[in-house]
Amino acid sequence: MSENTVKKPVSVKKVILRVLLYFVVLDVCVITLYPYFAMLCTALKNRVEIFSGNTILPVTALWSNFIEIWSRAPMARYLLNSVLIAGGSTLIAMLCGIPAAYALARMKFKGQTAFLGFVIVSQMFAPVVLLIGIYQVMQALGLTDSILGLVFINAAFNQAFTIWLLRGTFIGISAEMEQAATIDGCNRVQAMMKVLLPVAAPGIVTTLIFIFINAWNEYTVALCLISTDALKPITVGINTFNGYNMIEWQYLFAASIFAIIPVVILFMCIEKNLVSGLASGGVKG
Amino acid sequence: MSKLTAPKAAPAGSTTARSGKKVFRKIEPYIWIAPSVILMAIFIVVPICKVFQMSMNQVTKTNQLKGFNNFENFIKVVKAPAFTLVLKNTLVWTIAVVVLSTVLGFMLALVLNNKFRGRKIARAIVVFPWATTLVIQASAWGFIINKDYGTLNTLLMKIGLISQPVNWTPTPEAYFAWEIACGIFVTIPFVTFCVLSGLQSIDTSYYEAATVDGANYWQKLFKITLPLVKSSLTVSTVLNIIYVFNSFPIIWTMTKGDPANRTDTLVTYLYKLAFYNGRSGEAAAVSVIGFLILLVCASVYMIYTLRKGDGDL
Repeated sequence: MSENTVKKPVSVKKVILRVLLYFVVLDVCVITLYPYFAMLCTALKNRVEIFSGNTILPVTALWSNFIEIWSRAPMARYLLNSVLIAGGSTLIAMLCGIPAAYALARMKFKGQTAFLGFVIVSQMFAPVVLLIGIYQVMQALGLTDSILGLVFINAAFNQAFTIWLLRGTFIGISAEMEQAATIDGCNRVQAMMKVLLPVAAPGIVTTLIFIFINAWNEYTVALCLISTDALKPITVGINTFNGYNMIEWQYLFAASIFAIIPVVILFMCIEKNLVSGLASGGVKG
Repeated sequence: MSKLTAPKAAPAGSTTARSGKKVFRKIEPYIWIAPSVILMAIFIVVPICKVFQMSMNQVTKTNQLKGFNNFENFIKVVKAPAFTLVLKNTLVWTIAVVVLSTVLGFMLALVLNNKFRGRKIARAIVVFPWATTLVIQASAWGFIINKDYGTLNTLLMKIGLISQPVNWTPTPEAYFAWEIACGIFVTIPFVTFCVLSGLQSIDTSYYEAATVDGANYWQKLFKITLPLVKSSLTVSTVLNIIYVFNSFPIIWTMTKGDPANRTDTLVTYLYKLAFYNGRSGEAAAVSVIGFLILLVCASVYMIYTLRKGDGDL
């Protein structure tokens, strides 16, 4: 009996806390999804309905908006450019980043700390702040208004993350297997390719996707360097619907949804690994 | 290890081969880091040098350097009436976004760290703003708060909370506040996930022991949780300071810094100086001022991480 009287207030408190927890989580989810909901609804309305501001859900869903954007702007071209930019940046960032991360994780050399220090400090320089300098370098290399130029810029500015995440991954893997492979007659490159990289695959995929997303979402440099319409990535290209006199919200948001979906899916795949990678990279040094 | 591999590589034991190998071992690490170094040198270091050089020089409209001009660019920038306002905006923007998103993100992480049904879905949803490009996020919010046809007014009127459309952005300051809100909205997920990763590595036995000792929720929070996620919080905070300080798309999409620099931060201000007004020298000076402010933060971060990293270097 006495046990019951002690137990009861606790369970009531627990129930209240549970309800509160679900309430908070539900609120957070609703607020987070609200802009996406608004975008989707708007993308399905016609212009008159949007500017009347009377409805939340579209009266009749105009799925044709999603088709019309492909003829109103070179959407396919924009998306292809984004794929090229993001894919190219990822490739170059990995080709340069893997060996560097490997050297930092497995070798000792003079200037190691300095290099690592530079990698960390380089995160401080966002491309926006360096745009004037970047523009001049690009002019000198003849890479303004070209996709290749954006590829190099994105790769360079993602080096810090690449090296950081990969170094953390490599350090977390014991060097013993590679040493064994070396004894068996493999050279360093073979040992890395055949032994380390397969084991490090989850970390590498995480890094890869993360750079891809960063490059896909990049806006500022592309806005500044690309002037030819046919070379614009989707993030800049959607501005076609954002004219000086009139914003075509329904098309802007329909196009935006195409730009968001691939990235959100990719992000959900790596969310778990990425966070542990970021934290361990940062904390472990 | 080298003892074991040496005989294989140089079977005759010739001294030249051996010393050649030694030299190679010495330079080998530099070959491995070379691609990365070259990439960053051309596309990060050279632009940095260019910016510093331009900030010190008189620069023509066609970006030609006309020699050192006694820090005139800096003097011009600092004397411009808009500069104090822009600097103040930048500080307000950075501090408000970083502090509020860190507090809210931390709280959200505590909530999501509980076990409940649908936790996986909730975590997936929370990641959305992080994955979405800022331009789109900003234009969506710009649409939502529009006073004539924005969906926020429509929604609130349907629910019955307001009877007439509210002008959410009566002043530039109000617009700036919405931009800050949007900045917080997109920054929270990063903080939340950094803290979550820290929370998940905490041994539950600490909490059990504390419960046995009669500690209440707040004592556990401040005595166990906070100290143990401190390093995750530091990393996310320092990175956020840098990202938010340099953030361009939100403000550019929503107001372009207008009217009259009232919503400008350093980055939008320098973008306009360089690419709209053709005053590259002054824009470079603004960049350098931005570096100097961030340098303080970055050096704190670097000292912190390198000191931590010494253990397993």
